[in-house]
Amino acid sequence: MISALFAILVFPGILFVSAFSLAAEFADRKIHARLQNRVGPPWFQPLADFIKLLGKAELIPTNARPLIFSITPVFALASAITAYLYVPLWTKDALFSFNGDVIVVLYLLTIPTMAFFIGGWYSTSLYAKIGSVRLMTQLFAYEVPLFIGILSGALLADTWSLYGIALFYHNNPMFRFFNIIGFAVSLIALMGKLEKVPFDIPEAETEIVAGVCTEYSGKFLALFRLALDVEMVVGASLLAAVYLPSGMSLGPIAGFAVYIVEIFFIVALISLLRTVFARLRIDQMVSFCWKYMAPLGIAQLLINLIVKAVLIK
Amino acid sequence: MSDKNKFKIPIGPQHPALKEPESFSVALKGEKILGVDIRLGYNHRGVEKACEERTYIQDMYLVERVCGICSHSHSTCFVQAVEEIAGLQVPRRALYIRTLVSELERIHSHLLWLGVAGHEIGFDTLLMYTWRDREVVMDILAELTGNRVNYGMNTIGGVRRDINPDQIKKVLKGMDILEERTKYYIEVASKETTVIKRLLGVGILSHEDALRLDAVGPTARASNVNRDVRRDDPYAAYSEVSFNVITDDHNDIYGRTLVRVKELMEAYKIVRQVLKDMPDGPITVKAPRKIPAGEATSRYEAPRGEDMHYVKSNGTEKPERVKIRAPTLANIQAVKHMLKDRFLADMPIVIAAIDPCFSCTDRLISINDLDRTKSEIVTWEGLRDYSIKWYKEKGIDFSKVEI
Amino acid sequence: MSMEENIKEGLVKNFSFLENKIQVQRPRRLLLDVDLERFEEVFEYLTKGLKFGHLIAITGLDEQDKLSFIYHMAQDGGIMINIKTSVPKDNFAIKTISGRFPSAEVYERELVDLLGAKVEGLPEGSRYPLVDDWPKGQFPLRKDWKTK
Repeated sequence: MISALFAILVFPGILFVSAFSLAAEFADRKIHARLQNRVGPPWFQPLADFIKLLGKAELIPTNARPLIFSITPVFALASAITAYLYVPLWTKDALFSFNGDVIVVLYLLTIPTMAFFIGGWYSTSLYAKIGSVRLMTQLFAYEVPLFIGILSGALLADTWSLYGIALFYHNNPMFRFFNIIGFAVSLIALMGKLEKVPFDIPEAETEIVAGVCTEYSGKFLALFRLALDVEMVVGASLLAAVYLPSGMSLGPIAGFAVYIVEIFFIVALISLLRTVFARLRIDQMVSFCWKYMAPLGIAQLLINLIVKAVLIK
Repeated sequence: MSDKNKFKIPIGPQHPALKEPESFSVALKGEKILGVDIRLGYNHRGVEKACEERTYIQDMYLVERVCGICSHSHSTCFVQAVEEIAGLQVPRRALYIRTLVSELERIHSHLLWLGVAGHEIGFDTLLMYTWRDREVVMDILAELTGNRVNYGMNTIGGVRRDINPDQIKKVLKGMDILEERTKYYIEVASKETTVIKRLLGVGILSHEDALRLDAVGPTARASNVNRDVRRDDPYAAYSEVSFNVITDDHNDIYGRTLVRVKELMEAYKIVRQVLKDMPDGPITVKAPRKIPAGEATSRYEAPRGEDMHYVKSNGTEKPERVKIRAPTLANIQAVKHMLKDRFLADMPIVIAAIDPCFSCTDRLISINDLDRTKSEIVTWEGLRDYSIKWYKEKGIDFSKVEI
Repeated sequence: MSMEENIKEGLVKNFSFLENKIQVQRPRRLLLDVDLERFEEVFEYLTKGLKFGHLIAITGLDEQDKLSFIYHMAQDGGIMINIKTSVPKDNFAIKTISGRFPSAEVYERELVDLLGAKVEGLPEGSRYPLVDDWPKGQFPLRKDWKTK
């Protein structure tokens, strides 16, 4: 009971994942800034932003429904943190694991997006509504490649448990090279989920102010932003677990260090990609996802099926 | 389609895509723009009326403040008209210095535009890079004129500051750096996939439409309209330097981007020629305080397009009438045309692509209306008193300052 | 003979009443004074026949008992002609040219707002450049309108 509470509240639960995701946000912002030839924020900036937002007054639009408006950020954050409980893997003992948790994580990751949508829609601002619609349109575009990408990795490992997948690739390290396309597809789809350039269409500042978050302020906005950061860590951990599991046999401390490095590596990749691109238009984004990403994901699926038939009997 | 699917969203008067207040009311169906209403006039400061109440020298400084970016354009355009009426022979060295500053201004304005365009399409990296490089030319301008913007370089009958060989060396060095960087930006603008995706075929303005709607500047030249006041109606020292007028037949924002980056290369060329051929001699002639009666129109190719000033004098030290036509005003109709049937996502870049300068556009009448419910006309004096009082309450006393 | 002189000659040949009304201010600048009754045909000839097809601006002037309008038109070669026409101050309207020159719309709105000119045939639309609740009958660019 106490250890479960500890796991939920402190490690690897709310406290740890919040701190970790703020660190990841810092890494993202700093790398982005350095690549753009800027100085970038000091290390505590994400935390300072968070605390400052907590202290600000929150305004609820007159026409918005107060309950839905204020509860959606909590939903977004809670589901993102819940998803995290299943993904960190750095030892041979999974914290929580059951067959099928990879599906659960993927669906839990969809909930924040739904929460953003509902929050934006019910805040009744035109900009937020357009942002919400774009968010959903984008969801349908990147969700399929993301699922195919992650699940084709699972297919090769022949298990629906993240722990099982990680263990399989850990024991058969050469097999992960078959998954390079899947990794690329999942990473790009993840950027769509995290609303990073070139897929920051739902919050395109120069068009619709801040998209779904336009009307949000104070602690609600703080929670939304934290939820996005946690999503980034969960997504990165998911990719790390499926595509780059390593260090599982190094013991808890070294394994943990390797895990952290992996996450920052993926965050750095995301920062790099968002530095070198311009924002796409929503129609271009959708056609890009269906024209290139989904077929590539399916190609990965086929490769893994063949590999499985030939190499693993 | 029923009305349910249509809705109107306001872009402005305050909006992150606009750097100045201006109101665009956009009728949307989904992501598609059905029509746009443009309401201008949020930036009225009454420059034209104010000009009639001030002396020519005061007006020159006032006109310079019509716009923060093309300040040299407006002041040069104005003094040219006044000099024409007064029949002043401006020394050649002064003309060369005017040309030099105007090209440096074009460089700084185009680099600024490139950054803003990058920001509007969500490519902030380009913004950061171009604005860093823009500092080079800003430093040069500060070195030559003493100011980063609103240079105060012109005076009636010449220029106020001479330049020395040391400064020439610095300018040339800056040009080398910028030329190198601009080559890189040409590469980025013409090869980078997402940039091309967002610019190519967006904001189409056909050659015929550009002529019909009287578009000016890079907007028109990207639609293959071969017009450039610098060549057609040369002023300052432009008749003595050689340069190409850049045109493009893409008719879209991609074309406008190419025109601007290529104009940057031409500007470096002009700056080098001007520095090489700069004649010796005085930099100013004495101008009379009272300008004889007459009228003149002056044209000037500002970074954003053709600027025109009309000055009518009545023999006193104050002008009878000053009319300013800034380039953005001429391009407003073109924007309306370009936005039709485009996507909402294209709107910021389409508006930005004419390099709008709304404070230039709305130069006219003072918004003296402080209290909207009473709608009284507050005079300039009243406004001044009001501001003095307002600051006094905050502990700052400006009332000793004479205007 | 210079281009400017050519244009002047050609105009006088077509419209004899323009004799002594055309002035070559300097190279590439012509000034033309024309009565309102004959304005349309002269304007038509200049814009279509002589290809002064680029409208730069319309300036409005308050000249004591009359309002004057200067149409600044340019040719591709850089020659610019300023066509001036006048109306008495009270109740005389000029016709809009925004049909042929869409960009004239804002310039004409400016004349209406700031000078109190009347422009016939101007399409509906928001006013420019003054605020919506600007008091009626106040025309800032008129000489009798004082800022004090």
